[in-house]
Amino acid sequence: MKDFLLILFGLTMVYLALTSRYKAYIQMIGVQGLILFLLVISDYESLDLSSIIFLSFETLFFKALLIPFLLFTVLKKSPVTRDSGADIPQFYSIVVETMIFIAGFWIASWSSSLHTDIKPLFFGISIATILTALFIIVTRKRILTHVMGYMILENSIFLLSLSIASEMPFVVNLGVLLDIFIAVFVFGLFVVRIQSTFDDMTIDQLSNLRD
Amino acid sequence: MTIMLILLFPLFLAILNIVFKSGRLSKLTLLLHPVVLLTGLTYIYSGYDHRQLEYFAVDSTNILFLFLLGAIYLPVSFASMVFFKKENIKEKEVVFYDLMMILFVFAMTGAILSTHLGMFWVFIELTTLASAPLIYFEKRKGSLEATWKYVFICSVSIALAFIGIIFFTLAGKNINSLFFADLVSKADELSPFWLKFAFPFILAGFGTKAGLAPMHAWLPDAHSEAPAPVSALLSGMLLNSAFLGIMRVDNVMTAAGLDSYSKPLLGLSGFLSIFVCAVYILKVKNYKRMLAYSSIENMGIIAIGFSLGKGGIFAAMLHLAGHSFAKTAFFLTSGNIVVLYGTKLIENVKGILVKNPKVGWTWIVSFLMITAIPPSPLFVSEFMIVFELINEEKYFQAVIFFLCVTIIIFGMGKVVIKLCSGEPSEHSTGEDITFIDILPQVVLIIILIIAGINMPDFFYALIQGVKI
Repeated sequence: MKDFLLILFGLTMVYLALTSRYKAYIQMIGVQGLILFLLVISDYESLDLSSIIFLSFETLFFKALLIPFLLFTVLKKSPVTRDSGADIPQFYSIVVETMIFIAGFWIASWSSSLHTDIKPLFFGISIATILTALFIIVTRKRILTHVMGYMILENSIFLLSLSIASEMPFVVNLGVLLDIFIAVFVFGLFVVRIQSTFDDMTIDQLSNLRD
Repeated sequence: MTIMLILLFPLFLAILNIVFKSGRLSKLTLLLHPVVLLTGLTYIYSGYDHRQLEYFAVDSTNILFLFLLGAIYLPVSFASMVFFKKENIKEKEVVFYDLMMILFVFAMTGAILSTHLGMFWVFIELTTLASAPLIYFEKRKGSLEATWKYVFICSVSIALAFIGIIFFTLAGKNINSLFFADLVSKADELSPFWLKFAFPFILAGFGTKAGLAPMHAWLPDAHSEAPAPVSALLSGMLLNSAFLGIMRVDNVMTAAGLDSYSKPLLGLSGFLSIFVCAVYILKVKNYKRMLAYSSIENMGIIAIGFSLGKGGIFAAMLHLAGHSFAKTAFFLTSGNIVVLYGTKLIENVKGILVKNPKVGWTWIVSFLMITAIPPSPLFVSEFMIVFELINEEKYFQAVIFFLCVTIIIFGMGKVVIKLCSGEPSEHSTGEDITFIDILPQVVLIIILIIAGINMPDFFYALIQGVKI
């Protein structure tokens, strides 16, 4: 069951690397939140009750519902529905994405051959999704896509931190803090303000300060 | 419990400001905070209070950073008053500014005091949260752009640092603790494999906040768009606080016998920083951005000094302290120039020496201090670093160091002379700068010169005490 969920998580990343529709981004972010929730639930044996309740709330309410809802609200106000200006053509996106996954699994199998205590599938998918999220942030041009890329980065980091949840619940809670931090910031302050100041939110407009 | 006082007093002041919303009271709290911070530190340093908290403690390393924070914060508070007066800021905004300033310093105090990697990370995250509204304070299009870049780049970096912490946890599965002291004392139980994985992430994460290249992109924008006192605090103290995290983690790496892996990475980042500065300083069009690039350079020099191991630590810490003072003075003076001319563009400003000799001379002396011209203490530190490079037979690095630093002095000197000489340009706000307005930076420069000529024992002991 766990492996199945992990592979599903990886598949959402493949879809994300290819699509440019915002709606699809948001849906996938929600689906990832749901998968993370299921992963937390399926790990019930190794976690104590308070952690389970806290993490379920965080994943189900925060990641799977609240963040997609807020993103949809932003999207409704925005005149554009897709990110048109990726720096590289889609075909190359597929190639790069494939490479990232190969690299992720290579790192995972290499490190698990040295350390028997890590789970290669968990680790490989986490690494690959972190790299994919960074790839999305670097290649896409719109600010909204950057924000979504960051949400995906957070989801993948959360996935990585789940692999050590039983030993160090403290670290997972820190990750939750990261979520709240960015939600307050990005939504409360900037998307709203930047949208009213700059009409069409591409980073091309955010390049007045340069040398 | 003096530590608790130092840590929690700003929160008390913040609550006062939130409740009363009075401009006068908030100004008073902004001046009171550094005074209490410095008094508390002196009390601890004199040995009256040895009690520590579990997650927060004063040790021989972070006491230097704390004193620096207090010493920079006090003049910055004064300069903020000047800023309010000159820019005619509404009372509501004054309260907000003071509140965020106090919280920003609270976050830095917490980060410096942290004895735990996770706690340090939380407070560094908090510094972004508290300082972003200050960078956006003037609410122009440019400041919005700068704030967005700052928040976004720092958020990604903080996420990367978090990945580093996860790997650290994996490295210390047997120890199950992220206290720096535990990590150092049980370093031989840490898994070198995961430590090697963790360090680049931590370096990239905290290095971004410390302004090290190639993660420095936010720095020139944020420093140039923020009000001058905020830029001074960002440059003078935020970069140091983040660097302390790198130092602590590097200390763990050294204890685990991995300094041959971590130190070169840090050194590389340092050399990249001075290189980036040397490239950009020649084509910079905004004098506040020039100062920001100089911060990147100086953080690079500190990183290089630190990467040289035992021989370079004293020099690195001396440079760190000297840079904080000199750069704060320099940024505050740049604020005076903005008040006089109403522009940050180099091409629109000239003739400061004629228009206002006091500001002109402060500007020139600040430049001499930051570029390590004697009697600046930075001369001593840079000399020691080059000496150590040659001592370790790193001739190539020494040449690169010399070359970059010379280009930077040339680039900055050109701009400083251009701004000061000639007849005053037509750009003028009609405002004047009196001696009171430049008092904070004059005091900082006098302290620097004294430290450069004959370093007081107290100052020497603080720097010598950094044992990492």
